[in-house]
Amino acid sequence: MSALNKVIDAVDVETYLMCSDAHQGHSLALQLGKEMNLGDVDIMFEEFDGYGVRVRLRKYIHRPAQKYHWLESDPQ
Amino acid sequence: MKKILCVPFDPVHDVGIKLIKNSLAERGHCTELLPPDLSMEEIVKKAAATQYDYILVSRTLGYGVAELLARFNDLLDAAGVRESTKVVLGGKPITPELAAELGFDKGFGEHSSIDEVIAYIEDRPLNGTADNHKRTKPDIASHYFYSFRHKRIGELLDTIAEKTLHWAEGKSSSGIERCKIQEELSAVSDPSQKKRLTDRYNSLCDPVIADANSKKIFPKGVRYITDDEMENVRLLIREKQPLRQQNIRHHSRQPLIFKFLGSGCPTMDIVHAKICERYGVNGFLIVNPSWEARYEGLLHGLLTHENDGTITSEENIRLMRDCLNPSTLLTVRAHRGLNTPEMIYLAAKAGADMTKINLVYGSLGAGTDPERLTVDGLYAMKIAAEHNMAFDIPGNDELSGVPAAKSLAGLLINVMLGKKLGAKAILKPLFCYGPDIVLHGQMKQNFVDYNAAKIRALRSIVDAPIWPGEPIAFMTQTEERVQSANATSYHAALAASTGVDAITIASTDEAFSRGPITIASRIDSIRAVTDAFRFMGDASFQPTAAADNFTDDFVRKIQSALETVAAYANLPEAINAGALGSKEDGAYPGKFGKGTVRNSEQQIPNHK
Repeated sequence: MSALNKVIDAVDVETYLMCSDAHQGHSLALQLGKEMNLGDVDIMFEEFDGYGVRVRLRKYIHRPAQKYHWLESDPQ
Repeated sequence: MKKILCVPFDPVHDVGIKLIKNSLAERGHCTELLPPDLSMEEIVKKAAATQYDYILVSRTLGYGVAELLARFNDLLDAAGVRESTKVVLGGKPITPELAAELGFDKGFGEHSSIDEVIAYIEDRPLNGTADNHKRTKPDIASHYFYSFRHKRIGELLDTIAEKTLHWAEGKSSSGIERCKIQEELSAVSDPSQKKRLTDRYNSLCDPVIADANSKKIFPKGVRYITDDEMENVRLLIREKQPLRQQNIRHHSRQPLIFKFLGSGCPTMDIVHAKICERYGVNGFLIVNPSWEARYEGLLHGLLTHENDGTITSEENIRLMRDCLNPSTLLTVRAHRGLNTPEMIYLAAKAGADMTKINLVYGSLGAGTDPERLTVDGLYAMKIAAEHNMAFDIPGNDELSGVPAAKSLAGLLINVMLGKKLGAKAILKPLFCYGPDIVLHGQMKQNFVDYNAAKIRALRSIVDAPIWPGEPIAFMTQTEERVQSANATSYHAALAASTGVDAITIASTDEAFSRGPITIASRIDSIRAVTDAFRFMGDASFQPTAAADNFTDDFVRKIQSALETVAAYANLPEAINAGALGSKEDGAYPGKFGKGTVRNSEQQIPNHK
């Protein structure tokens, strides 16, 4: 059973990344999505405060009208 | 009767164990509570001296506590206590798994109720299952009389409504004709009659809708829901039940809570709705795709859509209604497009409880020609009255820049028109930080006074239900999750404080426009509002003196706007002239359906 298949819609990742400026923070946030094997992620929120960036990333696993794996019965 | 020893194994956090001890004693059990400062050895000695049926131990976790609890269990074992006594562990971070791992017979944690503990001790099933949380369906409009307290405003509204009803007499549109065809289709069973009516219906639709309904050539991103998908969603609803049903409202005088559904896919919406029901949401509003309002005619069938907005076909509405708890309210919006009468008729037929009509906002902020929407809207109000569906009137024209007083004047015109046609309206002033407010600084001091004044002003004018929308805190929420939840909860607390009937709340990803709303974000804002309602209870906000000035100003400006509207021959003329929102305000009369209103004797042209 895949846990990602059980995600109703999306996975959000919230964290704080140490970085030198907003641009680097943005790049690191996108890179984080890739390093976590989420592929391309959306950055929902990012705020650089001089020390680092607080970010909220989102990866949609099941979008509306797609095939929802969580709706199918689990293989026995 | 059981003999129970209660052990606060924690010097500070012993409130829970005291509450449980009292509840057990009230039920006739013999309980004994130890002081919190005994050593482990003293507790074991006490436990061994008397034969208890249960020893209840409460403890929060911390560094080394797990080892301590395991050792305590070993000592009880060594003293022979466990041969005849069950030892139970409880505390905020305790889970049944952890308790078992540490050698306890049972564990109760943060989400356990006292009833669950008592049921376990009494060795009986828990009564507090979902069945015990049966809810009754509320009727928002039932206890209002729609009497106008402000005499002059009542007179002006009467004049405007009479003029508008007189103007609309004998007028029709393809939207009204399609609604009549739907009514006829419901009444006939003969296939040839059905075909004749269906052909006539399609001839009154835009080609994109007619092609979808007759040739199954759907707009991009639309498809049928498959039989498998249908079966699986019904199975899911049957098999899964809410665990520990929650209430958002701390008491029944607090407003009902509504949420939008409009992911595009009814299946996704249903799953979101079922989870929201568990957290205490009282009702939902189906939000349809914006293009559905612009085309003549509606799509039919069980349809899913991969973009924003769930298609409001009769079949989709019925599916959603069937899957919701019977006590959950369902509203279908029909306020702004070319299918208003038909949509309300089909929504009623499919079991929806309420609908949404606003002749002014639909014309100024949503793009429909004022004449067309007035003719259609009045017919729609009659349908709503016939089916006993209240309709809410969203004041979303404020978001285009229309000053709040003009928006509120528009709401009141709809209330009077509804009253004359036998339909019950629900006022929906925005709790928002709209463009006019940003420009003129009414909320420079706080977000309380101006919003509270809207409610006070409307209450001083008419006895009608009020449901701030939509969602509350519009334009105060950002993409930051905590800020968004806070903004929603503060506005919800203010709404509760003003005693309104209902509110619509956003999710914490409402301001994120690049993707669908997620269930986790819905839960975020529900939890925030639940806490806010608990925090407020029966208390209320105390607006400053500025709220009194805003209230007086609203009433004066509403009256002034209505004096202006009353001077025109009818409502559409007043809207076109900018009396309820001008181009300078940022409001433009809509063009969809322009020139399509006909006198009844004139033939409605085919759209093909």
